[in-house]
Amino acid sequence: MNPRGSNFTGPDRPTWDLYSKCIHCGLCLQQCPTYRVLGREADSPRGRIYQVLQVDAGRLRIGDSFVTHMDRCLGCRACETACPSGVQYGRILERARAEIESNYQRPWLERRLRDWFFTRVLHRRKGLERWAKWLRVYQRSGLQKVARASGMLKLLGLDKVEALAPQVDRAFFFPHLGMLYPAEGEVRGRVLFHVGCIASVAFTGLNEATVRVLNKNGFEVFIPRAQRCCGALQAHAGYREEAQRMARRNLRAFLEPNRDAIITNSAGCSAMMKEYGDLLQDNPKYGEHGRDVASKVKDVTEFLAEAGLRPPQRRLKARVTYQDPCHLAHAQKVRSAPRELLKALGAELVEMAHPDYCCGSAGTYNVTQNELSMKILEQKMDEVTQTRAEIIATANTGCMLQLRAGVKARGLNARVAHVIELLNEAYEDPPAAAEEQHSRHRRKRASHVPSS
Amino acid sequence: MPRSRISEELREIAGAEAVLDGAEDLMLYEYDAGLSTGTPQWVVFPETTKQVSRIAQLASRMNVPLVPRGAGTGLSGGSIPRAGGIVLVFSRMTKILEIDAANRRAVVQPGVVNADLSAVVARHGLFFAPDPASQKASTIGGNVAENSGGPHTLAHGVTVNHITGLEVVLPDGGVVQMGGKAADSCGYDLTGLFVGTEGTVGIVTAITVKLTKVAEAVETLLAIFHTIDDAANAVASITAGGITPVALEMLDGKTLRCVEEATHAGYPMDSGAVLLIELEGLREAVTEQAEAVRAVCERHNAREMRRAANEQERQLLWKGRKTAFAALGRLAPAYYTQDGVVPRSHIAKVLRYIETVAQKCNLQIGNIFHAGDGNMHPCILFDMRDPDQVKRTHEAGRMILTYCVDCGGTITGEHGVGMEKNELMPLLFSEDDLEVMKWVHDAFNPKSVLNPQKLFPTPRSCRETNVAGGIGGSR
Amino acid sequence: MSPTVAAAGLARALAAIAGEAYATEDPARTTSFAIDEVVPRAAVEPGSAAEVAAVLQYAHARKLVVAPAGGFTHQHTGGIPERVDILLRTERLKAVEHYDPGDMMIGVGVGTTVAEVERKIGPHQQILPLETAQPERSTIGGALATATHGPLKHAYGGLRDYCTGVRFVTADGKIAKAGAKVVKNVAGYDLMKLLIGSYGTMAVITGASFKLFPRPPQMRTFVAQFARLAEAMTFRDHVLGSPLTPVCLELVSPHAQAIVAESFHPVSPNSGETRVGPPGETWRVLVRAAGSDRVLARYRAELGAAAAASEMGGDDEAQMWRSVAEFPHTLFERSRNAMLLRVDVALQDVAPMLEAAERAALDNSFLCAATGRIGVGSLLVGFAPIAVDPPSAMQYVNAVSYLRSMTPRDGSAIVLRCPLEAKRYFNVWGSTPNDIGTMKALKRAFDGEDILNRGRFLF
Repeated sequence: MNPRGSNFTGPDRPTWDLYSKCIHCGLCLQQCPTYRVLGREADSPRGRIYQVLQVDAGRLRIGDSFVTHMDRCLGCRACETACPSGVQYGRILERARAEIESNYQRPWLERRLRDWFFTRVLHRRKGLERWAKWLRVYQRSGLQKVARASGMLKLLGLDKVEALAPQVDRAFFFPHLGMLYPAEGEVRGRVLFHVGCIASVAFTGLNEATVRVLNKNGFEVFIPRAQRCCGALQAHAGYREEAQRMARRNLRAFLEPNRDAIITNSAGCSAMMKEYGDLLQDNPKYGEHGRDVASKVKDVTEFLAEAGLRPPQRRLKARVTYQDPCHLAHAQKVRSAPRELLKALGAELVEMAHPDYCCGSAGTYNVTQNELSMKILEQKMDEVTQTRAEIIATANTGCMLQLRAGVKARGLNARVAHVIELLNEAYEDPPAAAEEQHSRHRRKRASHVPSS
Repeated sequence: MPRSRISEELREIAGAEAVLDGAEDLMLYEYDAGLSTGTPQWVVFPETTKQVSRIAQLASRMNVPLVPRGAGTGLSGGSIPRAGGIVLVFSRMTKILEIDAANRRAVVQPGVVNADLSAVVARHGLFFAPDPASQKASTIGGNVAENSGGPHTLAHGVTVNHITGLEVVLPDGGVVQMGGKAADSCGYDLTGLFVGTEGTVGIVTAITVKLTKVAEAVETLLAIFHTIDDAANAVASITAGGITPVALEMLDGKTLRCVEEATHAGYPMDSGAVLLIELEGLREAVTEQAEAVRAVCERHNAREMRRAANEQERQLLWKGRKTAFAALGRLAPAYYTQDGVVPRSHIAKVLRYIETVAQKCNLQIGNIFHAGDGNMHPCILFDMRDPDQVKRTHEAGRMILTYCVDCGGTITGEHGVGMEKNELMPLLFSEDDLEVMKWVHDAFNPKSVLNPQKLFPTPRSCRETNVAGGIGGSR
Repeated sequence: MSPTVAAAGLARALAAIAGEAYATEDPARTTSFAIDEVVPRAAVEPGSAAEVAAVLQYAHARKLVVAPAGGFTHQHTGGIPERVDILLRTERLKAVEHYDPGDMMIGVGVGTTVAEVERKIGPHQQILPLETAQPERSTIGGALATATHGPLKHAYGGLRDYCTGVRFVTADGKIAKAGAKVVKNVAGYDLMKLLIGSYGTMAVITGASFKLFPRPPQMRTFVAQFARLAEAMTFRDHVLGSPLTPVCLELVSPHAQAIVAESFHPVSPNSGETRVGPPGETWRVLVRAAGSDRVLARYRAELGAAAAASEMGGDDEAQMWRSVAEFPHTLFERSRNAMLLRVDVALQDVAPMLEAAERAALDNSFLCAATGRIGVGSLLVGFAPIAVDPPSAMQYVNAVSYLRSMTPRDGSAIVLRCPLEAKRYFNVWGSTPNDIGTMKALKRAFDGEDILNRGRFLF
């Protein structure tokens, strides 16, 4: 306890300018998933900001209590949507978490695991690939079955968490890096594609679908080879420097002239990349680049809705409900675009009572805060069930994993799909190209390598 | 009895998980949405009426203050444990116990969120009418304690007009019934008396509320004026002209610009004031009233009239209004909202007075208020890091409320007295008036165990220490 | 202190407070102020709140029983007083305390009659939605004390909803107030709610402020008639569930219709309106609508053929509603041995209560005549004797106890008026959903000596 000065130490600390915007009106409370489940002020946005303020005032230390409540935040930023004062909660949280990482000693095993995941696995393609291959071996060799059947996972307390791990694909998306995919028909624009880290190993099909749908709509897609993980998971976990490192790498990869947009299909990635300007604000060399890149980032649904879809050949004859990914709805304020796309497909859109309530996935949250995450998922699944939808559409890979776990747990007969996957299915290939259907894309090596 | 023994008893009553007594946890219950603070020694999350009753018994026996709290969205410090003690938080009593659509009633626990009830009964074509700006977060228990209003109280009335029955735990632990589903009942109107007592006479544990039919048609108009005077005069003309809008709100130019930046509701950036007017009812009637309102506004030199073409546009116009206070937060780190009411014909005069106060005290004051009710909400912006500004803010507030009372009005229309305006009660009430109110207080809460030092002015002998009242805060 | 203060002394003391002309103990006058045949020892007419306070201080010090009184239109409600020492008449408290038509608020002394208020605000096209029986006699004070209401309650609520402030004098003679003169106020306890409907047992109200409402420029009434109560209730639910927002939604039972018709004298017999004939065998539901021709056309469409067939407008319509409001009075004009109950229940309990009332009447040789605000669950249930000979006390008792046995737990059935002989055999108040202990504690706090209307209230 430090009665005189702040208990924050870093240069990137939450500042008075940031947190004093909060006038503690409480309008955020019911929008916060953890407050709805726990009913505690300490686990509400207002309460977390108050704790940050008290740490800065020297009245509260960065100890177990503070860390517990900060860790419990999903970072869904629904509070920002509710906040009339324009409090940038996400920024306060990230900075507070960075302070925790530098001022708080987590238990040894937790520390090592976090370090390994955030600075090794996500850091480079190699690390990710290696991790994914191990996971794949585990999932496909029969080891998983043995582990599940033996009750070993349960003994280790990992049974619930394990069910949430992504199903690793047979083929990764990495070979597509550095490739250029030409537009079909009249060219409407040229875009860059950020492939995402987890998506590259567990959602290869989604990435391929994204490229194809963009091509079908007249957009040439280039996939810069030097791109890295967007840094979102790291930033949310308090690994701010590591996130900044990722951001700098990506700036180099994506600073391509004459490209109309930088597209992602994971809301978490686009949200992070749109904030590169803030992440790198103190960096004289990259600050401006950061803002340039950020201004070009578009979620794929946002981009397509703005551009206007070319009419798909097939109609989607199904009852569909749409789950707003937090980082799309709250962080980027993109709500209508994915819905417009679904309607353009002819889907019968049935809204949940609260489609923009978090599903509990939140990056690694469903693993690190499993119990709370599952309670949040329960509430979400209650609403999903009420819609009697056959398809639960969303626009973020993390949400897809979480919702699939929810569907499985409930034994629902519903499919969880990305909006882009549904679009992809609606576009037929011309008969001549039908035999190419399996390889899907006519690819060619990029004629030029992006400057780095 | 030592502190730890009380903690132990509380844990025994409510469960170990439901009691907080560590400093790091307690500081989270020292604030509400206003400026007052006070730190409790215990926070308890009861789940049943029985637990509330046992906690009340314990508090009475130990003579420890007991303060009920809903969502902590109040503006007058009603849920702040001014004298320490136990804060009773109702975030675990959130069940809707019964929806009786045929009788237009619902029975709810106090922790049910206002807007949630309306959302749940919407499928019956019904809603819970009181709509404080905090309705998405505030609890019905809190609404009952404060007798909350909102923009639509102009036609629908405040909370008390929508409550027909209560289950109340008295400070001695007794559980009593007041009213029921019938609109009236034999005996004293205990329900009516209880609503608005700000947690000073009992703790409500179940509430029977009236549900109101959702109107067939809604028409929302935005009338834009060059000057505040024109807008204020239009207000008086509308109500006097026999039209009763369900809501009649006014925002002055300064507020408008902040709100527009925050919400992009499409409010004009360069006008003197706007009126947000909502009409509800039968489609035919609403259309005619809208025409009449338009005519009145035009007669008062409205520069432009806009009409929400659909529900989305309507929500956007309202979003601007409902978030207006906090949007002013963009101009300064803190604000202090007043809640005086004046007769409607005095609005223009009072607004002019507020402007002179702003100049005299060198402060920015925005005005967003329920014009149809004459319920003024001057919002004084200040920086709490500057003690002189804090002092001037407090002075300005007092000047404005005094003026409201001089105009034949009152010091609070819907926010409550709490610990923010209790020292101003003598502006309105004589010692005898207050003593009679005290009789009611003492009949229920003789030892002042419940929510002490609220609502009534501090007895003269101990006033010195409490002069600064609400302002200050911890930040 | 015994009640045997020399009567002459009492009148002298009261005269010293209010003036010679305004205090009396002359039996010729006091007899006319008898309450349930209990003649007050003295009567006083204070001219101000200060004089009221002085009277109460005097009475309080001597534990004299005080009965506040207005126009004597409701004095028959309540238990038989054990004694009345001072009848405190509010006749002279008639000041208009504040009225600015632009603010749509009025404050008046409680001795003002309802009709006087109506005359004051009428020219400004404003209404006080009280609509009580006998407006020329009924005072504002009496209306507040009894929480009376008329058909307009359906749309405007009761006094608790539009009375915004009270000035009063406590039993020990303190002059106090609560509320305010503006439409919205939460400063301090809402003592209006405590005093409204407290039958003069908590304090003597001297003045009150009210929200006023614009008078609708055009009103029409649609009369739907049904052979059976159940059909009338189905119609009510249809109206309540429709988008319509009628000003009144009133039930008039077949026998009540005969009574209502007695005071209904159409002023324009040849106006060409569809006339509503007098007594019938039918249950009537009156839907009063306000609005333009287009709005009224919508009512016709929504209400359906049954109601649209007979409608009224103009002076006849107003006259007819006056007659409905007069029902509690006309009932006794026609049959002085009648009994009247005020029944308050939830909406879905209205029909069972009316059926129970019919049954109670039939079994005890009464005719049941009921009117009521069936959209809010407030009924006036009259029992008129069938036989020429006055019924026995037991017939009243049996009828009331049967009706009460059928009253839901949170409902109330208060006997507003019945013959004195019957009153001796039952508690006129019946059961209450309000905690008795709490009510007693409040009464003790306000009137520990029990000088205000002693023995007349619930406990």
